[in-house]
Amino acid sequence: MLDQLLIFTRGGLILWELGSSLKGSPIDALIRSCLLEERSADAAFHYDAPGAAGGAAYTLKWVFDNDLGLVFVAVYQRIFHLLYVDDLLAAVRREFSRIHDPSRTSYDDFNETFRQLQKEAEARAEEMRKSKQAARVPTAPKKQTSGSGKQRNSGSSGNTSGSGKDESDGDSGKGRWLANGSSNGQGNESKDNSRAPSGFLKGKETGAREVGAFDVNKLQKLRSKGGKKTDAGGVGSKATKAEPKKNVKKNRVWDDSPSESRLDFTNPVDERGEEPLEVVEADRGESMMDKEEIVSSESESEEDEEVENEKPCTKKKGWFSSMFQSIAGNAVLEKSDLKPALKALKDRLMTKNVAEEIAEKLCESVAASLEGKKLGSFTRVSSTVQTAMEEALLRILTPKRSIDILRDVHVAKEHGRPYVVVFVGVNGVGKSTNLAKVAYWLLQHEVSVMLAACDTFRSGAVEQLRTHARRLQIPIFEKGYEKDPAIVAKEAIQEAKSNNSDVVLVDTAGRMQDNEPLMRALSKLINLNNPDLVLFVGEALVGNDAVDQLTKFNQKLADLSTISNARLIDGILLTKFDTIDDKVGAALSMVYVSGAPVMFVGCGQSYTDLKKLNVKSIVKTLLK
Amino acid sequence: MEKWIHQIEEWIHQQPIEQLYVAFAVLVFTFVFFGLFRILRRSKSNTIVLVGLSGSGKTVLFYQLRDGSPHLGTVTSMEPNDGTFVLHSELEKKGKLNPVHLIDVPGHSRLRPKLDEFLPHAAGVIFVVDSLDFLPNCRAAAEYLYDVLTKAIIVKRRIPILILCNKADKVTAHSKEFIRKQLEKEIDKLRTSRSAISTADITSDYTLGVPGEAFSFSHCQNKVTVADASGLTGEISQVEQFIRELVRP
Repeated sequence: MLDQLLIFTRGGLILWELGSSLKGSPIDALIRSCLLEERSADAAFHYDAPGAAGGAAYTLKWVFDNDLGLVFVAVYQRIFHLLYVDDLLAAVRREFSRIHDPSRTSYDDFNETFRQLQKEAEARAEEMRKSKQAARVPTAPKKQTSGSGKQRNSGSSGNTSGSGKDESDGDSGKGRWLANGSSNGQGNESKDNSRAPSGFLKGKETGAREVGAFDVNKLQKLRSKGGKKTDAGGVGSKATKAEPKKNVKKNRVWDDSPSESRLDFTNPVDERGEEPLEVVEADRGESMMDKEEIVSSESESEEDEEVENEKPCTKKKGWFSSMFQSIAGNAVLEKSDLKPALKALKDRLMTKNVAEEIAEKLCESVAASLEGKKLGSFTRVSSTVQTAMEEALLRILTPKRSIDILRDVHVAKEHGRPYVVVFVGVNGVGKSTNLAKVAYWLLQHEVSVMLAACDTFRSGAVEQLRTHARRLQIPIFEKGYEKDPAIVAKEAIQEAKSNNSDVVLVDTAGRMQDNEPLMRALSKLINLNNPDLVLFVGEALVGNDAVDQLTKFNQKLADLSTISNARLIDGILLTKFDTIDDKVGAALSMVYVSGAPVMFVGCGQSYTDLKKLNVKSIVKTLLK
Repeated sequence: MEKWIHQIEEWIHQQPIEQLYVAFAVLVFTFVFFGLFRILRRSKSNTIVLVGLSGSGKTVLFYQLRDGSPHLGTVTSMEPNDGTFVLHSELEKKGKLNPVHLIDVPGHSRLRPKLDEFLPHAAGVIFVVDSLDFLPNCRAAAEYLYDVLTKAIIVKRRIPILILCNKADKVTAHSKEFIRKQLEKEIDKLRTSRSAISTADITSDYTLGVPGEAFSFSHCQNKVTVADASGLTGEISQVEQFIRELVRP
């Protein structure tokens, strides 16, 4: 039943393995998209091997031994719902840690022990299942486990196979046989009660976590082959919905600096006519993208030196305390020890505006990685937890692919096509403003930019972009209002190709994530034009809604896509960063949920207020 | 304050002159000793760092160097592998051998910052490249190599780098000359785009090569060599040679 059981070190060496080779590489996928993404507290991981029919779908479950630095992974086919896997993994961990020795690299003698453990675990599972069946009304042949899996919407369940089958029978029992609905209902209830005592049945919790695991899998699967196509397809249809009009935005003054002159850039001569007035060219100096880093790199190098000097010190301390450990009694970290420290950390994260769900998942993941670790006598629990959390945060916020846009622009230029960036987001986050900032920055690096006004809904959106284009002296492609944005974008890209613009920045209308027709329109735009970068614009003021926004956006883009490898959100632009002092948690929530790196940070309302995310300072601020 | 200084001066004058000389000599000697110790210890660093993209074969190479075989295989590393040992192939040699401190840094992009922890102590860097699956990853490999080559520590201390084309035992593996040329071309392109944002890029503290000329590894101030090897079958003689040159027995 089990396809494979693997024991490997955190450094990557496989210590023991049982089973045949698997299709695809599920273990590597597990490590990359789950364990390294700080989702190690999830119940299970689903993997679909890429390939033609016959690509198997696997479910993976894992267990850590943090003390010895080992990971135990069990892989089995998803259609089987094996009850005993959790039990077996725990037993294997116990037995293996007894015979583990850091210098040994082959453990063939473990085969015997494992076979025995497996038999025991299977026997225990059989017993449990039989005891449950005995408590129920005997029924006709059960439905297939895959059917029950669909019903219960949980694939992972080594823990629910038996109960899943029973429940489906319970339901069909109610429908078909007129056997006492009450007795069946009672049967179900007693089943529910009996579920509680059995330790490894997690019930609804896994249901909720399944959504997380499912999303990650989908994201990973869908992103794995994100290639860049150069075609621009056919015709799309548009569905609009009336939305309440937004008030005109006033320029905010944050401190007592004198307000800028020339707040009103509208032209008294009407829209499409020629301009008698001269427009001052926007030249405010260097964009902060290029400036800011010098300052931080200085402090960074100081930090690095300090860290460098500290490193040998901490190493010595570690050796010292480990020497003492062998003399003095040492404490193994238990969940109960970690709880107060983790709760304090979680509260601290939440005061920094990290979404509650995310803080919860992160804390659980850190707990999973620390449980069972031996604590040095001179280190407190809270400091261990703090270091672990810091590392986890650093890992999440470090981008996993290069965010060097200029390089990508050059590559696209070589291929002779323009680099297309689409700005998406909900209403009022600052898409148009930051689009202009990005254009300004690109212009400073000798890249020719063209704007595409695909926000054909909001009044004044086209004029706004037109004004920006005039100030920056770059071409703009516009078709006015009430047009289909997908077609406007397509024509804009063709125009850019013909006049040799390097980059096309596409502005879209803001839309709420649960507005179905608008999301459909957005995915049509993206499918049709296949942009190089889909940039989600989110404001740093958002709280728990960030999670919802990003998940729904990604989900809709994936669901409504016409091609097999849907384009998802590739990057995040964080705006209004100057309005939050140290409540920088929105960055963490967004990156955790979507897996996309933060490419730009908007920190003001003028052209130069655009910078890169400084990961180390964010982590420091979050944990202060 | 004044009083104290005066008192100290008197006390000094009272001491016999030889004692003062001895005290002074001891102080000077201690300083010189520590200074020398520090300088000598730094130059005698025996640390070699294995870097490269995820999946290029670093962990296999690590275990090959240590034990002579990669055992049951490897998966993506989540943590660095760190070991100080005498190379497996040299265990048979008689005489006192200097153990090598080998560090295998995970290649996954989320774990890149770990590299900065280990580079300061490195005597040499082995950049492992997958010669089988080279072309799809060429850009990523070149970017990583560019980052490594432009790190301040590498440039200042002129740490030698060996570009290792791993998996050379497979039939469809590219030759090291091809890989070398491709990497040079990619780094050349990177130079032009990165120098545009050099002030914004923290990691690129230095620029590479001679401006105006196509980039070649001979332009680097530190020694960059290319070799091929196969981690799985054990043909790692060039690697061992590189290591032995740096870590004198």
